[in-house]
Formats: sequence, structure tokens, C-alpha cells
Amino acid sequence: MKTRIGQGIAFGLLMITTAALAQSKPVAGEVAEGSLKDKTLTFVSYGGIYQDGQIAALKEFVDKSGVKLLSDGPTEISKLQAQVESGNVTWDVVDTGDFAPYVYCGKLFQKLDLSKIDTSNIPEGQISECSVPAMNYGVVLMYNTEKYKDNPPKSWKDFFDIEKFPGSRALEGSGDLSGGMIEQALLAAGGSVENMTVADIDKAVEKVKSLGPDTIFWKTGADSQQLAESGEADMIAMWTGRAMTAVKNGAKYTPVWQDWLVVMDQMTIPMGVKDADAAHALINAYVGKSAQETLAKTTSYTPIHKDAKPEVDEATAAFMTNTPDKLKLGYHQNIKFWVKNFEVANEKWNALMAGN
Amino acid sequence: MVARASDSRDTGPAVAAGDRWRWFRRQAFWLVAPALLLLVVCLGLPLAIVTLRSFSEPQWGWQNYAWFFGTPVNLTVLQRTFVISAWVTLACVIAGYPYAYVMTVVGPKMRLVLILCVLVPFWVSGVVRTLAWVILLQDSGVINSVIRGIGLGPVKLIRTQTGVVIGMAQVLLPFMILPLYSVMKAIDLRLLQAARSLGASPARAFAQVYLPLSLPGVYAGAIIVFILALGFYITPALLGGPRSTMLSTLIQNQVLSLLNWGRGGAMGVVLLIATFVLLALAAPLSRQPHKTGSKRQ
Repeated sequence: MKTRIGQGIAFGLLMITTAALAQSKPVAGEVAEGSLKDKTLTFVSYGGIYQDGQIAALKEFVDKSGVKLLSDGPTEISKLQAQVESGNVTWDVVDTGDFAPYVYCGKLFQKLDLSKIDTSNIPEGQISECSVPAMNYGVVLMYNTEKYKDNPPKSWKDFFDIEKFPGSRALEGSGDLSGGMIEQALLAAGGSVENMTVADIDKAVEKVKSLGPDTIFWKTGADSQQLAESGEADMIAMWTGRAMTAVKNGAKYTPVWQDWLVVMDQMTIPMGVKDADAAHALINAYVGKSAQETLAKTTSYTPIHKDAKPEVDEATAAFMTNTPDKLKLGYHQNIKFWVKNFEVANEKWNALMAGN
Repeated sequence: MVARASDSRDTGPAVAAGDRWRWFRRQAFWLVAPALLLLVVCLGLPLAIVTLRSFSEPQWGWQNYAWFFGTPVNLTVLQRTFVISAWVTLACVIAGYPYAYVMTVVGPKMRLVLILCVLVPFWVSGVVRTLAWVILLQDSGVINSVIRGIGLGPVKLIRTQTGVVIGMAQVLLPFMILPLYSVMKAIDLRLLQAARSLGASPARAFAQVYLPLSLPGVYAGAIIVFILALGFYITPALLGGPRSTMLSTLIQNQVLSLLNWGRGGAMGVVLLIATFVLLALAAPLSRQPHKTGSKRQ
């Protein structure tokens, strides 16, 4: 009799803990054994080393959950739009640029259920209604150390001052809007980024134009790296990953960390995916510590888990953006403003790119 | 060209074989059905949808066209797209004409080598080929090192229209050479000897006999190159600067970055119509009667 009661209590306790576990908060990086068996998820990103690194970061998740992970891409919002409009969404988790999850939240991307993703270790201010960060990186001012030996530039203001710092400039012209860059141009033009208006964009564009006709707008990361390695431009606004590779390859350039522009890729779930829970589980695994360490090691992008300590070489570590001193110097663009004025800002920026 | 080729097929066998042949020819229409179907599904339908969306998004009306013609940058870029394409076509004619001619006069082995030289770049990815041009054309690149080596100042090639034209011409050269070659190889070189024997100078024999006979190839190649050049995207993006942006880049921005299918569609339709108009204007040129022409085959 006694043993019966004992067994009953033990069983009851077991039931309670199981139920509690099932409802308990998720832990970043963890997934229940075999929980996604026979399921398929398609992860979409920008390809290359980056996506390979992301898939490597998700290996533990795949092995443990039993999910079949497919990889597709590159991310194109127009393709996603076509999928959502036709009601046939085959992309389950999509890595996007900065703005897309804000501009198309609730239209192309679903609002994330944050009870299913452990976001407690993600740096502050990086989570939006429809996205969590996929990784961090920066746009940093790189200058030619041979050209500016005694008098190196110290900030974006110097970048935009060709009287004090003569020489050619290169900045991003990939077609994506760089709000942070426009804000720096505005500041250099003597404007203020508080209560920015659309007219301020014109002011910033004029400032960029004042850099002269030889200003280079690089189109791809490889393009910018080539500029540094061949010494074609004296100051280059560069993605940190490419800046690092260029320096590793012998480019005689040094970064200026003052007001480096904080940029990130975003993890999103499109509207109308077949299994939103599984997609959330993937993201929850992706933001885990060891997954982020793998990602950083394979791609040299900065992890978005506060405690992640990837083993990277010195040159890579020099361009990781999550050290306390660098975090202090980072510049955050006014996302609200750029999302609100997305179309007009794009139009003005693209007109500059098209030589008008 | 096409019309003439079928003309020569009309005469002869059709008369000889009578009704039966006519029946065959009517059935022969079905041979083009698969190609026609492919065109309708893969070209006609999407084109119709794009045109429709250019009028229907965000509301019905002419708004997207009003925007296109009301925005100065669009007109500048449209004009520039045609100018760059014209330069590319000219460059291809100048480089391709002698090349195709040499292909007709050398032996079969050499001809194979020449054809391979034209086709090999085709088998290399466009991006890789363009990045190779970046390395050649940049300020510290191979070409500029050579120019500096012989004591001349650096020439600005990359991020200029010249650079874009050079890069695009290389990519498009096969489309000029192959039609030229197919026309030139059918020209009977003894006609030149005949002209010489009648007292024409080599230059005159070329200008009055060879050139007119080879013109259909020039037109065919020029039209293909010009039309393909209008839609170029990667090469101008990587080799050019802001002053060589072409319309395809703007269309890409509208559609891929802004999801503005209406405006993107309108830009595409404007480019298409402008192309048709230009071709219609050029058509009389290619219909010149060639009195000196010989019957081929």
C-alpha cells in the first residue's frame, strides 16, 4: 500500500515537472531531443561563407531535433513578397538586412512570439516586433596609413572634410539604404539628427556630393576590399568583416572606431509559414551561446550572445564589435525615422547613386 | 534577313512538288508550336503582367508613368542607357568586323582557335569576368601600369563610361562576331577578284562589293548587341560610377529594394517601347536593296 502511494506521488510529481518543463521558458540554444523529427525547415540567407557559417551554427539544432534543414537564397524581399502574396510560403526563416523587418512587419514578416525565443542574452535595443538580430557588424572608417601619416582622421567629420584631409573617398553604394551614413553626412554638414526632417536628407546628399566627382560608391563587399588592397581610395567606409580581410591581406589601412555605424542582419519568420513553432525553435537555437560562437568563428561576424567567447585570431578579434570599449563608441541610426521615410530616403539616395 | 532566307526556300521545291508540299508546309507550322508556347508562357505572359502592374499599382492610372517622366534622374539614365549601348555596339562592330573576316580566310584549324577565343569568355561567370576587368582597369591596375611604364600619365578607366563600354563590349563581342561570320563565309571571294580584274582598287572592291554583301551580318549583330546592352546590369554596376548607372539598376532598386512593382514595371515598359521605336527607325536602313547581291548557295 505504502509503495503504491509512493509510486502515485512520484508519478504525480513527474507529471507536474513535465508539464512545467513543457511550459517553461525556452533557453537559447536548446531544443528538445527529436522534437522536430520528420519536419523540414528552409533557412534563407545571403549565401557564401556567411550562410555556410550559419548552417554550421545550426548543426547541433539539426542533430538534436531531427529536423531536415534546407538552405536557400539569396534573400530577396521581392521573392518573399511573391511567396506571401501567392499563399505558398516555402521560406521558413529568413535572414534580412536592417530595415526590412521594420518596414514590412505584419505584412511580410510575422510578429515573433517571444515566449518561444530566449532573448535574454541579446544586446539591448536590437529586438523588434518582427525580428531578432542574426549577427552584428559595423561600418567603419578605414584610412590609408601611408597617406595620412602624421595627421590621421579621427571621425566621420574628417571623412567629409576634404579641405583638411585631401584625398579620395569611397562609401557604400550597394543600393541598400545606409541611414547611419546619411546621418553622419548631415552632422558633418552642420545639421542636427534630432528632429530630422526629409529636407535634412537633401542636405546630407549635398554633403556627400561635395566630396567631389572622384568619390567611389562601391557595390559589393568584395569591391570595397579590392579598393583597400589596391589602395585606390584614401578613406573607405567599409563593413568590418571586409575591413578585417583587407588588413589580413596586407592593406595598409587603419580603422577609426569613433562613431562606427552599428549594423545587423535580422532573423525573421515570414507570414504564412507552415510551422511557425518549428521556425521559432530554429531561431531560439540560433541565438544560443555555442551556436553564436560557431558563427563568429566561421564568419568573423560579431556574435549577438552576450557571453559568447569565440576563439578567433588576433586580427579577427580586432574587428569584433562587441568589446565594451567599442560598444561605447558605436553609433545607432535613427531606425524610426528611416523606416517612416523609407521610400523617399531611398529615392534621394538612389538618385545620388545614379549620378544626378 | 530572315524574310529573304525563306523567300529563297519558297521558289523551287514548292512549285515542283505541288499540292502535297503545300500541305506539308501547313503542317510544318506545328513544328514551331513548342517554341511559340515557350515564348508565350515565359515571355508574353510575364510581360503582360508587368505591364498590367505598371498601371494597377498602387491604384489604377498613369501615376507610375507620370512619376517616371516627372523625375529628372530617370530621363537622364534612360538617355544614358541608349548612349552607352550605342557606343558598345559601335565598339563591337569595329572590333568584330575584321575578326570575323579573318575567320573566313584562315584554315580550319586556325578558325577553330579563333572561334574558341570568342566563346571561352562565355563559359566564365559574368561576375568573375567583370571583376577581372576591375583588376585590369583600376588606377593601379595592369593597363595603367603599362601606360605609366611608357611614360604617360595614368588614365582614368574604372568607374567611367569608357570602362563600362570596354567591359560590355568584351562580353557582347561574340554576339557580333557570330552573325557576321555566318554572313561573311557565304560571300564568294572570287567576286573581289572579279572587281579587281575590272580595274577596281582594293579599297573600292571592298567598299562596293564586299561591304554591301556583309552588311546584313552587321545589322543582325548590331541589333542583337544593342538590345542585349540595354538590359545590362552587373557590368555597369561594377565597372561604372554614378555617371554610368543604367536603367536596369534603377529598375532593380525599385523592385528589389522598394517592392515597387508598379514603378519598376513602368520603367521596363518605357525601355521596351523606346527600344521598339528606335528599331523601327533603324529598320529602313537594313532593308536597303542590294543590287550587287548574289544568290547564295
